[in-house]
Amino acid sequence: MRHCLTRALLASAGVTAVLSLAVVPAGGQARAYRAPRSADGKPNLSGIWQALTEAYWDIEAHSAAPGAVLELGASNAIPGGLGIVDGPIPYTPQALAKKKENFANRLKLDPEIRCYLPGVPRATYMPYPFQVIQTPTYIMVVHTFARAVRTIYMTDHKEAPADSWMGWSNGRWDGETLVVDSTGFLDSTWFDRAGNFHSDALHVVERFTATSPDHLAYEATIEDPKVFTRPWKISLPLYRRTERNAQLLEFNCIPFAEDLIYGHLRKEPAR
Amino acid sequence: MFHRFLLSTVLGGVLAAALVAAGGGVSQAQTSPAKKWTVPRTPDGQPDLQGFWNNTTYTPLQRPNGVNKEYYTAEEAVEMIKRAAADEAEQTVPGTVEDVHYDFTQFGLDRSQAPLAQNLRTSLIVDPADGKLPPLTEEGRRRQRARAEARKRAGGPTDAVQNQSLSVRCILMDRNGPPMLAGAYNNNYQIVQAPGYVMILVEMLHGPRIIPIDGRAQLPPAIRQLEGSSRGRWDGDTLVVETTNFTDATGFQGSSENMRLTERFTRVDAETMLYRFTVDDPSTWTRPWSAEVPWRKAVGPLFEHACHEGNYGLYNTLAGARAQDKREAEASASKPSNERSDP
Amino acid sequence: MRTTFAAAIAGAAILVAAAPTRAHHAFSAEFDISKPLKLQGTLRKWEMINPHSWFHVDVKMPDGTVVPWLIEGGSPNQLIRLGVTKNTLTMGTEFIIEGYQARDGTNKAVGRNFQFADGRTLFLGGSAPGATGADKP
Repeated sequence: MRHCLTRALLASAGVTAVLSLAVVPAGGQARAYRAPRSADGKPNLSGIWQALTEAYWDIEAHSAAPGAVLELGASNAIPGGLGIVDGPIPYTPQALAKKKENFANRLKLDPEIRCYLPGVPRATYMPYPFQVIQTPTYIMVVHTFARAVRTIYMTDHKEAPADSWMGWSNGRWDGETLVVDSTGFLDSTWFDRAGNFHSDALHVVERFTATSPDHLAYEATIEDPKVFTRPWKISLPLYRRTERNAQLLEFNCIPFAEDLIYGHLRKEPAR
Repeated sequence: MFHRFLLSTVLGGVLAAALVAAGGGVSQAQTSPAKKWTVPRTPDGQPDLQGFWNNTTYTPLQRPNGVNKEYYTAEEAVEMIKRAAADEAEQTVPGTVEDVHYDFTQFGLDRSQAPLAQNLRTSLIVDPADGKLPPLTEEGRRRQRARAEARKRAGGPTDAVQNQSLSVRCILMDRNGPPMLAGAYNNNYQIVQAPGYVMILVEMLHGPRIIPIDGRAQLPPAIRQLEGSSRGRWDGDTLVVETTNFTDATGFQGSSENMRLTERFTRVDAETMLYRFTVDDPSTWTRPWSAEVPWRKAVGPLFEHACHEGNYGLYNTLAGARAQDKREAEASASKPSNERSDP
Repeated sequence: MRTTFAAAIAGAAILVAAAPTRAHHAFSAEFDISKPLKLQGTLRKWEMINPHSWFHVDVKMPDGTVVPWLIEGGSPNQLIRLGVTKNTLTMGTEFIIEGYQARDGTNKAVGRNFQFADGRTLFLGGSAPGATGADKP
């Protein structure tokens, strides 16, 4: 009897402990987590972070499906995913047709396969760590894949001088949240391996909020009047890589893609 | 097009500016005794190296043959820069190989339009004292021969993309290194410091160098990286960065994967940083060797250098070579058989 | 063919030039020295990309047809530091390009010289729209 009571007490204590450490959803009723401060008094989001989601295959809710490469069988099959989008992506009818074409031809068209810069927000939920290095004037975000770098300008906001793969990002603080407003994108990137795409009118507003010492809540609002009928949102948690010596390793993938891009231009056919 | 007005601005700056007392980079006799400059600190107490920097130089890595001293006089340096700038900017002769290029000066990419740190040295190499690379070891010579033979076996430069340099393929450029050395243009860097890290964004290839300064251990030997793996620490006001774990393909001046590189960054004044490095690779050279390059404060931004993504030129070069092959094959096939030369 | 990383990029060690040279992929391998040309056309688009920028130019032929050409120019990065943006050049601007045609025979060329019809160079080396002069600190 006492044994059961002790267990019950311990169990409830455990539940309480879990609740007090729980990730508080953005906009939740409970008191928001307050991150440690950087030297200039802002929430310190520095560190090595990584998404844990199947969204890099397909950001929409989807079932398991075969991969596109026969020889890779199950190891390259698409796992099911709950998706990170709030409902189906609101494509215009023509854009939806293009998306389907992208999917059908993804082995030839997916820029990831050629080691091209992944764009925003795809880089955020690729299955590799990225590092945030935060200062008052610049927040640098360095991704593992193709060593993609984003510079977030925290002061002296300018318009993009020209278009780029990773866009031009202006950042500001909204309480505990880092808000990053990005434009100046080329139309060359995708959102995932399923062919979801955008035009050069892409406008992304991201919100990064620390919800515990080791979690960020990440949201991105995506707007592109040439492709979508209205803005839409993605959201997912980001997890800190807590290994003592966590670091980004070099992933210079160009040599792994060259024969795909240039192989047909060899003097002798590739062996 | 020779932009005399731009060049005279550079020269005016060179002559009028106080010669930089770049910690030994300039002979003391030529500097005016300057008040000791104190480097500002970041909020977490690091010496502040942050900002945009440029390491454009006219000084060659090795001392030119026939030059037997360590420093030029100010007048000689000005002459050398004038000649080099004129060489770079002068109207090339139409129909020559040099002419098959866009005009650097129209895009601001010639060296006379870059920020330039004063440097009176006759070579970037400061040790050995003759300003030249030390001799190769036997192993270094063997490797050099083996690499040359491998290149020959691989065929002509346009036979396959892998026969082009790492630079043309946008994989690795001299500005990235490490060590980081200037190329023809866009020799810009952005340094950002946060607790535990110094980050250097190299303009070319938009290449990130993230250098932990928290005393952590180096990567295990099984992990090799083109740019090695760097660990930094502060030695007074100097950032010391040790880099190991290179690959065999890195090949800096013929180096092996065992190269150990030590870089030192010392901010000399508001406008200048002295960059020094020592290469220690007993598999390649009979002794370590060191070089010194003053860097000049520059302006940003560093626009995205998405080199691989935009590398149409490489594609066109290979396609052009295949088109040429096809033309030659067709021309040969259409000749009467007794006129054809054997392949 | 499976290769180790080192083998995948083998053979091409970096050689740091003793004096920094215009170390490029040899433009003369991409463009034909025996095919110099002079084109006059209107600008449709300037792709401000690296490692080299590309000008999309509509060239009017003597018979009245319009032929699109692609002209290789320099990295835009220094011009951007001098204040040039994607809005600096007006689309439809007429200009003249001297250069060399691509070896693959297509309508591509390297622009040896970019000039407006009145002789001013497009960017620097003359009165350049948007450029404010070399960034001397």
